[in-house]
Formats: sequence, structure tokens, C-alpha cells
Amino acid sequence: MNERASRRWGFLPLLRWGTFGRSWRAAPLVMSGLTLFLALLAFSWLGPWVYPQSPYTIHPHRLFLAPSLQHPLGTDDLGRSFLARMMYGGRPSLGVAIVGSILALLIGLGYGMASGLSPVWLDRVFMRILDAILALPTLILMIFFAAIVPLSPLSLILLLGLLSWPGLARIVRNEVLAYKERDYVLAARQYGAGTGYLARTHLLRSMFPIVIVNATFTVADLILTLAGLSFLGLGIQPPQPSWGGLLGNGSNLAITGSWWLILFPGLAILLAILSMNLVGQGLLNRLEGR
Amino acid sequence: MWAMIVRRLSVSVVSLILLVTLVFFMIHATPGGPAYSILGSHASPQAVAALNRQMGLDRPLSVQYGIWWIHLLEGRLGYSYIQHVGVSHLIGTYLDRTLALDLGALSLSILISLVVGLVQGYWAERLGGRVIGFLQIVFYAMPVFFTGILLIYVFSIRLNWLPPGGIGHHGWGARLRHLALPVLTLALPVSAGFSRYFGHQAREEYRQDYVRTARARGLSEWRIATRHVLRNAVRPFVTLVGMMIPVLFVGGVLTESVFNYPGLGWLLWRSALDQDYPTLSAITLLIGVLTILGNLIADLLNSILDVRVRYE
Repeated sequence: MNERASRRWGFLPLLRWGTFGRSWRAAPLVMSGLTLFLALLAFSWLGPWVYPQSPYTIHPHRLFLAPSLQHPLGTDDLGRSFLARMMYGGRPSLGVAIVGSILALLIGLGYGMASGLSPVWLDRVFMRILDAILALPTLILMIFFAAIVPLSPLSLILLLGLLSWPGLARIVRNEVLAYKERDYVLAARQYGAGTGYLARTHLLRSMFPIVIVNATFTVADLILTLAGLSFLGLGIQPPQPSWGGLLGNGSNLAITGSWWLILFPGLAILLAILSMNLVGQGLLNRLEGR
Repeated sequence: MWAMIVRRLSVSVVSLILLVTLVFFMIHATPGGPAYSILGSHASPQAVAALNRQMGLDRPLSVQYGIWWIHLLEGRLGYSYIQHVGVSHLIGTYLDRTLALDLGALSLSILISLVVGLVQGYWAERLGGRVIGFLQIVFYAMPVFFTGILLIYVFSIRLNWLPPGGIGHHGWGARLRHLALPVLTLALPVSAGFSRYFGHQAREEYRQDYVRTARARGLSEWRIATRHVLRNAVRPFVTLVGMMIPVLFVGGVLTESVFNYPGLGWLLWRSALDQDYPTLSAITLLIGVLTILGNLIADLLNSILDVRVRYE
């Protein structure tokens, strides 16, 4: 493995358990981002085991209670436990964004590979179309689509995934171009390897690090977009809680002075975006050898 | 260079065609078709059929697609059945409010980022530079709808200094007071993006030999900063403004919704919630066209200003 390749792979040992302490020192950005994100995932999926309260049960005698020992994050305008709502709200907020990113990643890989492995004229056509798609304002189109399609977690996954692959596709295509003329790829081709085999074994592995970095940024983008849509009432639909939706509700109730209905969902969204950006930026720094 | 411009223009034309086509087919994919969304879902089949005939919706899709293009090119954007006015009339009223917000935020963020970037470049190796760098990451990740509500909570509800939203109708003073919080909200993430880039640039300039020469000649730090570093570091600003245009537009939509500031973004949001499809599609097209044109102008300016891009 040459020096460049070993640097590209250099972050992989970070993901192994045995080297936990060393990973912290080597890549503090990646590790702090990862820890933060895992904590948010645990809060959303494991939290309800520790704090088994329903996020839907209405209690008319305890409306707008500020955070206290009994109600750790307070209660909302219908007396529902806000901690429970924050926990259950994290599931669609993070889950839809993660699955949507995976969908975007798959489409981007397919399009980028197809473009990069095509003859030059076809690759040009693919790229011009991609440029045209990239110039479209994604959030505007999402608001437009969200007004038309019936909204559910599944339709939101499709919406987010189908509209956010172009950036990844361009990166994949550029990586294919950078690697497909390398000696080892040419050698494999001489041995009679098919295009599908080359794409799977050689190209996919070479581009894996940079693709992972950009997938991380995509997750952050989609968390933000989904929170924005839910905030506007065009994402996850009530009564199902989501961080964006809770923030939107809190902002409508801001006049009552219930700061906890604004601060906690807002912080959760901010931390989720921040953690993924930290992971992405940290990995990128290592890739570029900074 | 002309080849580059032609290529770039053709990409924008394809973008526009894609945008118009997407909007057309999505509108026709609405449940029950456009007639139902106008008459409501409980409309009788006869009424729907009559409206379909009147609006030409019973013709083949390809014919309708052609008519859609002709109407758009003639500037006939349809009629809002919710607000009962022509959509072009609506856009006329709302567009200049959005421009006021966006231009205000753009100017404010350029001002903030020039100052912050210079300081960051000057302090690059010290704690101050790192603190600024951290704040930039946080503010860049901060969703405008969160910043907006926090500002409303502090400055309108707790301190009662500024109005929490809407638009002032009595004179310039009221109008500016209503603009203050939205402009600040929108300017924060944009200036975080700008100043990060500009700070990096300023830091590079501070390392150059001419800065050391200027110091040796006994020039004041202020003079070095304004006459030398600033002048050299602002050159990539056009590219940067182009890069931030999408952030500005998208952030603008959300900011207007948070503050109930009746601009194009707010109109887009309301028409999406009300399922007012003529308005919704017209605004989507308008903001889309503005974004595509913004990107195009930034790219072209950039290629004219930067010789390296020109000869690529």
C-alpha cells in the first residue's frame, strides 16, 4: 500500500474498540462528534427504558410546568412530559435523516459510478444533467413536494433521499475518474475482471473514506432540513413528536414564557448537526493530512 | 472564455427546464388533480368535470404541458383561489420585502465577517483566534429557526425592545425595527460562513513577506490591516457571495416564517400549508429561477475576475 493510500485508510483504526484511548488523542474531533451522536441516539432509543412515561398522555392539571426533579424537562401545553416527548421525538428526527442519507448515498453511488465508467461523451451528458440538478434549490422543492405528497416518515425518507444525492454523485464520479486508470485497476482489467467487479472491489474500496466523509455531512444536512420542515409543519406530523415539530410548537407558545419548550428541542437539533459536522470535519482533516 | 460562458449558460437552461417540468408534473400528481384542490375534496364530480373543461385540464397531458410553458413565458402565473388575486400581483407585493431582508442580511454579514475575519487572521495563533473559530462552527450549524426564536424570546418577550414579528406599516422607523431581528437572524449563519473563509484568507496574508516589510517600515497595525491585508484578502469575495446565495435564500424562507415576515418565503410556507397550488408553484418557480440566476451570475463574475478559472 503506498503512502497516499495508507493515509486515506488511516482513520479506520479509530473505529476499533481496543484503541479507544489512542483514538481520542489522535482524532479528538471525530471522537467527540461520534460520542455526542451516539449519546443522542441512546437518549432517543434507550431513554424511554430509563424514563418510562408516555409522550402522548395528556394531564390537564399540570400544564406548562417548568423543569423540576419530578418533571426533568418540564411539561408542555397539554401537560405531557416534555422529557418523554424529547426522547420519542429524537427517533424520527434522527432515524429519517439517517435512512434518507443511506438512500441518497446509494443513488449517488449508482449515478456517480455509471457516469465515471461511461464513455467520455456520455459522462459529459451525465455531468451536465447533474450540474443542472445541483442548481435547484433543494429546500424550496422539499417544501413544494411536502405540500403535495401525504406526509409520513416513509414519504419523508423518500423525499429527503431523492433530493439530496447529487452532491455525493459528483464526488463518486470524480473518485472513479481518479482511480480507474490506476495500474492495479488496469491490471485487474487485463486479467479479465468485469466492470461490475472492478467497481465493487477496487473503486468502491478506494473511494470509501471520502464517500463516508461526505455521507456524514449529508446526515447533518438532512437532520437540519427535516427539522426545518417539521418546524414549518411540513415534516413529521403531530401528535407524533419530532425535535423540529416540538420547537415549532414551543415558538408558538413563546409568549407564555415557557423557555424549556424552545431551548431543549433547539439544543437537540443543534447538537445533532454539530456532532455530525465534527465527525465529518475531523475525518476530512485526517484525509487531507492536516 | 466564450466556450465556458456558453457551457455555463446551457447548464442553467437545463436547470430551468428541469425545474419547470418537475413543478408541472408534481402539480398534476396532486390527489384528484388540481380541480379537487381548488374546489375542495368534497366537490361533486360534475363541478370537477366542469372546472376541468374550463381550465383545459381534460386535454392530453402533453398539450397541457405546452400550454403551461406558453403561460409561463407570457408571465401568466395563474390565480390564487385562496387569496382571490392574481399570483403575479401577490409576487409584486412580497418580492421587495424579501429583497429588503436578504440584502440587509447580506450587507450586515459582509460587515461582520470583514471585522471578525481580520481579527481572526491577526490572532490566528492565539486563544482569541481559536475561540472565534469555535463560534463560527457553532453559528454555522445553528438553525435559523432556533436563533430566531431565541432572539424573539430575549429581545421581544423578556426585554420588550423589538417587535416579535410582522412588518411595520407606519414609517421607516417601524419598518427598520421590524427588520432588525430577522436581518440579524439571517446574517448570523451567513457571516459564520463568510468570516471562516475570510479569516483563513487574512491569516495567509498576514504570513506574507510584505506584511513583515510594512511592519519593518514602521507602519501602524491599523494601516497594515486596512491598506494591505484587507485589500488582498477580499479578492475571493465574489465567489463567496455566490456560494452563500443558496444559504441566504433558504435561510430567508425559514427566517420569514419564524418572524411572520410577509415576504416570498413566508408566502411559500403559507401556500404550502393552505395547499394553494397556483401560488405555491409560482413561488417555487420564482425562487428557483432566482437561485439559478444567482448561481449563474456568481459563476460568470468569478470566471471574468479570476484568470485561472477562465483558462481552465
